[in-house]
Amino acid sequence: MLNLLTAERIKIIRSKKFWIVLGILTILPIMQAVNSQITVNHGKELVQVIDTVINGATGILMIEKNGLTVLLIISAFICFFIGEEFQNGTIRNVLSLGRSRIHYYLSKFLMAALVSLFGVIVLTALGMISFTVVFGFGEVAEINHYFVFAIKSFITLYILILANVSVYVMIGFLTKNSGISLIWCFLYTIATGFLPDIFQQTSHFKQVTEWFTETFLFYSDFANPSHIAKYPEMVLVSLLTIVVSSTLGILCFNRTDIK
Amino acid sequence: MSETILKVRNISKRYRNTKALEKVSIEIKRGMIYGLIGENGAGKSTFMRTIMGLIKIDEGDIELFEQTGSKGLQHARRKIGQSIETPALYPDLTARENLKVQAANGGVSEREIDDLLRLMNLGNTGKKKAKNFSLGMRQRLAIALTLITNPEFLILDEPTNGLDPSGIVEMREIIQRLVTERGITVLLSSHLLDELSQVATHYGILHDGKLIHELSKEELSRETRQYIELETTEIQKAVVVLDELEIKDYEVVNGTRINIYEHIDDVAAINRSLVLADVNVLRIGTTRQKLEEYFLQLTGGNTHA
Repeated sequence: MLNLLTAERIKIIRSKKFWIVLGILTILPIMQAVNSQITVNHGKELVQVIDTVINGATGILMIEKNGLTVLLIISAFICFFIGEEFQNGTIRNVLSLGRSRIHYYLSKFLMAALVSLFGVIVLTALGMISFTVVFGFGEVAEINHYFVFAIKSFITLYILILANVSVYVMIGFLTKNSGISLIWCFLYTIATGFLPDIFQQTSHFKQVTEWFTETFLFYSDFANPSHIAKYPEMVLVSLLTIVVSSTLGILCFNRTDIK
Repeated sequence: MSETILKVRNISKRYRNTKALEKVSIEIKRGMIYGLIGENGAGKSTFMRTIMGLIKIDEGDIELFEQTGSKGLQHARRKIGQSIETPALYPDLTARENLKVQAANGGVSEREIDDLLRLMNLGNTGKKKAKNFSLGMRQRLAIALTLITNPEFLILDEPTNGLDPSGIVEMREIIQRLVTERGITVLLSSHLLDELSQVATHYGILHDGKLIHELSKEELSRETRQYIELETTEIQKAVVVLDELEIKDYEVVNGTRINIYEHIDDVAAINRSLVLADVNVLRIGTTRQKLEEYFLQLTGGNTHA
């Protein structure tokens, strides 16, 4: 498993796509800070509930602010990261050496998780720095212990992202093709991201939407104490998503013929 | 008796309604260069993939380095190197980086990388990415990748596919060098019997997923060698003349035909002796069954071969 991770590290460092993802996640928070400054200069006031990040302290919620963008960027990266192994035939080089398919699947998942973690750390750190530079560090309303809040919020937001990473990895292994997995990942993200808004209008389907991590990511205010109380539920749903999607992905991959 | 590297018994594989392999049994011993011949779609790649565990078989047994069962085979596969169809490379990595990735995959040291790059004439590729390599260079890099883990058994699927004549000769030399210098056992496939005949020591002919014939290099050369074809109405008298000429390697094919496998250059002298002995010669001349004709004869004349 460590050998596989070493091989993945060499590939990732030399991957243009990885550097493009990192570039986007670096530029995005800086541009948003500048945009917010322009908005304020035009006489508008930033409101935390709407704008999510309004100062350096709320910068910890950059993942929430950019939830959809982060998911789409990471899903595209994962689709190529896995699909190209099938399309270039390089997956044969590993599996024909007698490497376990489970280890191969998990090494891909682990690398995708690490890339996502690194990406969201960069996004959040630069978000906090650039918003602090423009608006000062400030505070998060109704939060007394900022450090604990920051750690809990970041971990919860990352786990919500990780659950989606797990689904994208599963889709990548099921479709075995970058293009097709890209379509399915986008459809999954958009469907689970926007359908809850409709379903939440009815009492019958409201409960169902809470089994999807996007519902929390897109429709929660992570600075609101009533939503902060739901962190354990968010983590539980995310972990269940990771376990179910990974199990399904591994089972299907084990039965797959590699062309 | 030399060690058995690969032994497959009655393996079958079906894709929906198509039988890709049907009860194929092959045994490959250490030191062999086993050539798998068959037209496109005969099942060559499928057979190789089953050995490498890339596709699951529906029935039959695979024994690799005397190991069986999924765990045993998984362990035995660490001694295999493979290159199936198109070279499987990371296009954005250099030759050296591709080798580093494969060394990591195999859990082996990177020490041999320089030697392998030199062995495959890729030592001067520097920072050139694999996507900018010629097909010949990519094929050579693919072989280098297979060698980084020091395999004892090499599986090469159509390694000369798409190469120009000089590339084909180069690839052939590389394979022969690997066998003589490193003692590697090789299973390679091609749809060109003529090309395989220059390297392989044993042959298996696949047709429609079935192994229809197996033969050694000696048997193949006997089946396809040059000979004198004599047609006469007096076989017995002709045989007496051949015995007097001390020709021993001949075969009476039927009541009017004899194939003579020696003294190929003495057609005129043999004809003169037959005429002098009053043998009624209808036709005499040298002939050779081409390898491709032999293959077509076995497979029932499929012109794709």
